[in-house]
Amino acid sequence: MSALTSTDAADLLFLEAQLLDERRWDDWLDLFTEDAVFWAPAWKNEDEPTSSPDTELSLIYLQGRSNLADRVWRLRSGLSVASIPLHRTAHAITNVQMAGPAADSAATVKSSWTVNTFNPRRKAQHVFFGRYEHGLRREGDAWRIASKKILLLNDYIPTVVDFYML
Amino acid sequence: MSGSRTLISKGASSPAAEPLTPAEVSALVDDRPHDGAFRVHRAAFSDPRVFELEMRHIFESGWVFLGLASQLPNPHDYLTTTVGRQPVVVMRDGEGRLNAFLNSCRHKGAIICPLVSGNRKLHVCHYHGWSYDSAGRNRAIKGRAEGAYPPAFDKDSHDLAALPLFADYRGLLFGSLSADAGSLDDHLGDARKLIDLAVDQSEEGLELVPGSVSYTFEANWKLQLENCSDAYHFTSTHPSYLRVLDRRVQSEQSSGAIRSVWESNRPFAPGADGVTNGTFSFANGHVLNWYISPPSDAHPLFEKLDALTARVGEARRDWMFNTRNLTLFPNVQLAENASSQLRIIRPLAPDRTEMLTYCMAPIGESADARRRRIRQYEDFFNPSGLATPDDTVLYENCQAAHQAPVGEWLQGYVRGETARSDAPNVLTEELGITPSSSVLGGPELCDETVFHTYYRTWRDRLVRGLERSSAV
Repeated sequence: MSALTSTDAADLLFLEAQLLDERRWDDWLDLFTEDAVFWAPAWKNEDEPTSSPDTELSLIYLQGRSNLADRVWRLRSGLSVASIPLHRTAHAITNVQMAGPAADSAATVKSSWTVNTFNPRRKAQHVFFGRYEHGLRREGDAWRIASKKILLLNDYIPTVVDFYML
Repeated sequence: MSGSRTLISKGASSPAAEPLTPAEVSALVDDRPHDGAFRVHRAAFSDPRVFELEMRHIFESGWVFLGLASQLPNPHDYLTTTVGRQPVVVMRDGEGRLNAFLNSCRHKGAIICPLVSGNRKLHVCHYHGWSYDSAGRNRAIKGRAEGAYPPAFDKDSHDLAALPLFADYRGLLFGSLSADAGSLDDHLGDARKLIDLAVDQSEEGLELVPGSVSYTFEANWKLQLENCSDAYHFTSTHPSYLRVLDRRVQSEQSSGAIRSVWESNRPFAPGADGVTNGTFSFANGHVLNWYISPPSDAHPLFEKLDALTARVGEARRDWMFNTRNLTLFPNVQLAENASSQLRIIRPLAPDRTEMLTYCMAPIGESADARRRRIRQYEDFFNPSGLATPDDTVLYENCQAAHQAPVGEWLQGYVRGETARSDAPNVLTEELGITPSSSVLGGPELCDETVFHTYYRTWRDRLVRGLERSSAV
């Protein structure tokens, strides 16, 4: 057992991004731990994102992989007009850095991201961008995502933003 | 009805298009009560001339919602917003009094407060350095003594231009860019009693949970006005949300499951009998639609059940648990189900609208109730959630055809007509309100006549405004 290297961490983040862009939702869900937290804070003003999900508003705060699975189910259900058609996405992740020394079983990874999106319904494109903070945890031989914090910097939402566009 | 002139002509968006006459504006609403007919013309949602009239005669010359007093708790706090297209700042002065001003320096017009909110005793314009205190008084003109100003300079006030009308109803702040809008009490009428149902959930009143969410949609603002009061869309627009609730109940998730009053209490479940939902319409365009939602432990207010009963009585307590969507015409909606949203509607163009949204909450609720309220809010109300995106995408799908020169009369305004009554009933009596019209019904009635007061108010304001401006 060895600590996660920053190359390993980057590979995991890139894989996650690829699975989202290729809409391999089940494989994407498998990257998360059972108790994973998926969190996109809102903003209090020009400079401060919210930081306390239980007392402040978030854009998305989901605790537990099953809540993420519900979001995936909705996309595939054919029952959500906002998801018909899905927007096409291309995630790009840069500046991947380990935050602090990695332990054998846990690590925190920070990165910057952009997601180029195309909405086939309106023939419109948009770029969401921000910073990620992934909390990774070793489960057996695999590293999984125990938390994903998504700081969306351009939080002026053109009609809809869903988990797969972040 | 619409006469021979085509209201949506290809030239409607060109600057050369002839201005609308009062008769043409009036003809956009086909309102024939004796025939049971009510239709709205698509041009009401798409003609740029209509939009210009809405800005001038509704948003920039009547009462509009600005914010909550609890957003400005301390002396010198301020909050910026817009009234129609105009930048406005609400300030609390050193003595604690609230005022609203055009957020614009008297010198060259630059924005004085560029941030959404803050606390400042002195606001100094970044352009030429004129300064104002938190009561809007001009405190200094840079280099005044050396400035060789003529005496006539001081014939103009140098203070920030106050909104002609500014008033507070129970912590909800409203302002008007015209002095000719009557009193706020007259404007709100009995809708005040429905505001009370939100404010009185705590003895300490209402607050906004920190954090706001802004989004836009490429559709007319009146689609938002309607959708909030539209019970008819719920099951067909939000099946994915309702099915996700089923999944959560079935999987008996222990930690992290987000609960909703709808998991046990489906608003439009077939087979329910008796009166379960309805609408109240008021003068000046305010409406409430509601359905019965018995106190449930999924509701964040449940912990206060006994205290609420003692303080406000059983009837008003039950109304606090009922799902209620209140629109205060033209720009604010208080939507209360298991969570509670304050929405501010800001029209940007005939086919573009900005929404500023907050989670509102009774002050002093427990940490557990607050957490639950926030989770339910995010789940349902956010543009990143499970319900709102399905609404706003549908507004856009409606807007896509609102310039059409055929099929121009929309038919979504008469469902409920034969159930509509102007008479008081047991519910209006327990609430102490006298709406201009109400509909009580079963789960699938889903009244649409509630929209009439929106469009009558809208039409009357535009026509009156046009007549006044042509008289000048």
